[in-house]
Amino acid sequence: MMKTLPRAAAFLVIVGGLLALPRYVDNPYALHMMILLFLSISQGESWNILGGYTGQHSVGHAAYFGVGAYTTMMLLQAKGIAPWFGVWAGVAAVIVVALVIGSICFRLRGPYFVLASIAVAEIMRLSAINLTGLTNGAEGILVTDLPPFKIGERVVTDFMTKVPFYYLGLALALLTLLVTWGIERSKLGYYFQAIREDQDAAHSLGIPIARYKNIGLVISAVLTALAGSFYGIYVGFVDPPTVLGLDLSVQIMLIAIIGGMGTLYGPVLGSLVLVPLSEALRSNLITDLLVKSGLVSADSRTGQFLKENLAHAHVLLYGILVVLVILFMPEGIMGFVKKLASRRRKEAV
Amino acid sequence: MAVFLQSLISGILIGGVYALIGIGLTLIFGVMRVINFGHGDILMVGMYLTYILFTFAGIDPFVSVLISFPLMFLFGGFLQKVFINRVLNAVAQNQILLTIGLGLIMSNTVMLIFTSDYKIITTSYSSSTIQVGGGVSVSWPLLVSFLITAVITAVLYWFLLKTDTGQAIRATAQDREAAQLMGINVKRMSIIAFGLGSALAGTAGALISPTYYIFPQVGSVFTLKAFVITVLGGMGSVVGATLGGVLIGITESMSAAYISSGWKDVVVFVLFLLVLLLKPSGLMGKSRT
Repeated sequence: MMKTLPRAAAFLVIVGGLLALPRYVDNPYALHMMILLFLSISQGESWNILGGYTGQHSVGHAAYFGVGAYTTMMLLQAKGIAPWFGVWAGVAAVIVVALVIGSICFRLRGPYFVLASIAVAEIMRLSAINLTGLTNGAEGILVTDLPPFKIGERVVTDFMTKVPFYYLGLALALLTLLVTWGIERSKLGYYFQAIREDQDAAHSLGIPIARYKNIGLVISAVLTALAGSFYGIYVGFVDPPTVLGLDLSVQIMLIAIIGGMGTLYGPVLGSLVLVPLSEALRSNLITDLLVKSGLVSADSRTGQFLKENLAHAHVLLYGILVVLVILFMPEGIMGFVKKLASRRRKEAV
Repeated sequence: MAVFLQSLISGILIGGVYALIGIGLTLIFGVMRVINFGHGDILMVGMYLTYILFTFAGIDPFVSVLISFPLMFLFGGFLQKVFINRVLNAVAQNQILLTIGLGLIMSNTVMLIFTSDYKIITTSYSSSTIQVGGGVSVSWPLLVSFLITAVITAVLYWFLLKTDTGQAIRATAQDREAAQLMGINVKRMSIIAFGLGSALAGTAGALISPTYYIFPQVGSVFTLKAFVITVLGGMGSVVGATLGGVLIGITESMSAAYISSGWKDVVVFVLFLLVLLLKPSGLMGKSRT
């Protein structure tokens, strides 16, 4: 109880700061980074509800992200339906998809569940490639301009700058955090964790495990779909590999795992580590740093090579991080920090 | 009828290579109870190895198997010794993640070196076929790779059934603790099993390289195929994986002929889900209760 007040205060201060940020920062690249961070937090938190709290390690979350993104974009492109209406169609579609997936996959446990979740996501990706009439196939859907967002007759925003996307992203990230916070404190959260710790014990205590796994899945899928829709309208382009691919499923999962599964702030930490690092690689910041520090000369073959290839290989970093995290801090950064703290406390006593 | 026979024959031929991939995965799963999500990436490394040997040393892809098999065995043994052995007692999701991470490292390192351009190995026989009669033709490279596969599978069966090491591997797969009590060095068996699994995947990569595009991300397709094959055959069953490989090969070529090549993978995944739901223990697996 003593900890709650300062924590809530710190949270409010940070949120206040984030709300005020676009007033002082108008560099589009900085805003872009923040938007990526919010997107990553929403993805990680959403996965965490099913993977971290309920213990069902889905490696197929791209299915929900992609269905959300595709539904919104398809409605916008083909019917001209504005995304803030289309997104709800996406949510409805994802609920149906999630319940179908749940009824198939939740009969399976452990590694079999993981495999089934991948298979379902792959079926979605291949369908998006083959149903060219609906999805425009492998070419993807490109929508460059969004209709202005109006309340009544007043135009709230016309989406010409990154600022409206910044606030949308922030709202999304806060929503996923709030939902997770709420779950953590409710009976639902205890049911989820009971299922994670011991399915059979939870069952024998009278928890209907299939129902609660499905509830966890639907919450997680709906939030992921919202993130997908947001991604779609922000980037303005979706195609099967980027929003439905296995790589995306893995990346979504990693955010929570690197930060710390089953903790409220784990995915936030994971995003704070992953987003800047992979952006730094993608935009060649690391190569520039190496060149500036004099370690590598820009004209040398190594310099040229790094400049050309390091940007494409930012996923390499994900791989190295996963291996290090699994070998040296299997509970993620959160767990590692907690362990350090408790060790220090013991030494102090 | 000609279409049917044609698809059946191509299905069986490609199924032989799939069987190699599946046997590798199932060996690793049987001995370690670890699902190797980097299996396809190991296959991809095998493809690039073949590409290097072909481009820089002029070694024919089918001959290069003699070099890539031992090299890939060492590579797999190294992965096991340095990484996988440390998580044998960890929770399942950490094992899965570790292999995913290793797979990402492999594919992205290869991308860093070779870029993500598609490479092809063009041999004099890449597109040559043999007419069998009745309008049915057999692709020459597929036929050769099938024969090599058959030889390797036969030797592997002999190794697992007749040699001491093979029996020790099977004992470890059956009951790790009991095997340890009987004086079997289970860590060493794990290294051999992962080495063999990798060598088989790498060989499969070498065998398909004359007929397949080579690129860093090619692995994930084969990882998924390997899962389908092993689950279909029964996780841990070598005979099951052999059968599963051929069955998946036939399913693929039949659905490509009668539905469309775009949907053939969907058919395979639907089949996979059906097996998971109806008989998760697979064709040859014993249900573990």
